[in-house]
Amino acid sequence: MDFGQFLSYIASGTVLTVGVTLIALPSGLLIGTILALLYVYGGKITARIMNLYSTIFRGIPPVVLLFILFFAVSKGINLSAFWAGSLSLGVVSSAYQMEIVRGALLSVSGDQLMAARAVGLSRMQAIRSVVLPQAVRLAIPPWSNEAAIVIKDSSLVYALGVPEILRRAQLIGASSQRYLLAYLSAAVIYFFLVFATTRLLTLLEKKLAIPSNP
Amino acid sequence: MKKYLLLTVALILVGALLVGCASESTSVLDKIQKAEKVLVGTSADYPPYEYLDDAGNKTGFDIDLMAEIAKRMGVELEWVDMPFDSLVAAVAGGKLDMSISCFNYDEERDKTVDFSEAYYTTEDAFVVTSAFTGTVSAPEDVANYKVGVQSGTVQDGWLTDNLVTSGLLPEANLSRYERVDQAALDLANGRIEILMGDYVPIQALVAQNPDLQVVYRGVLSTGPINIVLPDGDVELKAEVDRIIKELQAEGFIDELALKYFSE
Repeated sequence: MDFGQFLSYIASGTVLTVGVTLIALPSGLLIGTILALLYVYGGKITARIMNLYSTIFRGIPPVVLLFILFFAVSKGINLSAFWAGSLSLGVVSSAYQMEIVRGALLSVSGDQLMAARAVGLSRMQAIRSVVLPQAVRLAIPPWSNEAAIVIKDSSLVYALGVPEILRRAQLIGASSQRYLLAYLSAAVIYFFLVFATTRLLTLLEKKLAIPSNP
Repeated sequence: MKKYLLLTVALILVGALLVGCASESTSVLDKIQKAEKVLVGTSADYPPYEYLDDAGNKTGFDIDLMAEIAKRMGVELEWVDMPFDSLVAAVAGGKLDMSISCFNYDEERDKTVDFSEAYYTTEDAFVVTSAFTGTVSAPEDVANYKVGVQSGTVQDGWLTDNLVTSGLLPEANLSRYERVDQAALDLANGRIEILMGDYVPIQALVAQNPDLQVVYRGVLSTGPINIVLPDGDVELKAEVDRIIKELQAEGFIDELALKYFSE
């Protein structure tokens, strides 16, 4: 087996790695943003529930949640390994993304909300048109960090037999006995995925920056 | 913090309950015949039993054997690759129809799944590098050294039950690896002194690394290897056992062993 074959075998798992990430990250963002809005503007009791959610899902290792969802819960609803893995990672990520969005929402000064109300906007309008646009910009740097973490965590779905980059590296490493090369190839592919993603998000951050803001 | 811990435990219990509720009454054999397809799990990182060939296709003793079993069941064979540790849970959870991955009978595993008749008998081996200066005249002697083993295997069970529990081998001196080749890497690096494993894959390792040598060989933990089947599925077990006996009688399995296990 020559090196080209070797690398292309591992690299063909990239589709699955990217697929898992593209499900986990946006679903985590959607859930996380909704929960963060509820956390910050939903009152004391809601905030407590959100805090519990965040503590539980940040406290469970993603791979444990993965096993629970795939082997226990999805017995009746027959979820595939790919979906069980992607959604578990999405749920875990949602807890982290909720904290990111919450932090960003709280960083926008409360005076702005009051000022917006004073000029006649409703509470919902003020949150949507004044606070949220600023918060989104503030959230991008920590969010690109989370994106990198989800890309790397996507390797966990190998435990359910999804042949993504890591599992492919293990298989080819075992059969060829060149495991160092196999894992190095996997590392290089992961590095470029994470590198490209963070670069793209930095560009986005610059593009969205408000010129007058220091 | 205690509250959250309890909640997590409760969540897991609910999950376990769901598993209990969803027990099926029909045989998996009916499902296989209706779909004309059998879904078999393996962990294709364990040469020569199951591994990938140069083209990236699954090959090995278990792979060829299962292909023949599926052929005789008159159904198509669909492989699902999974890490070894996940396979039993996947059969128990109904994600796979059966699993073949050099499984030995094990009481713990028997609680959640069933085992077919044995299709082959394996041995254990201890392997060291040329830097090793100690002696291993009896299997218990390995307790004096740093030992490595693949986690979750019957060898792991043997070391834990016979040497660790009795206090002969300090827990800190036993390293458990997810895969045998990782253990072999640490053996070469000197992090462990002795590696315990199944004789056939150990022999394959030795063939690839001239620095390694087997210092002990015998039947300790292992022995017969079986196919893992869903728990309590008498019909499926009867069918698989029938084919295994047929293949043994025809000499098919001996031929496979010669093909994959010969030096």
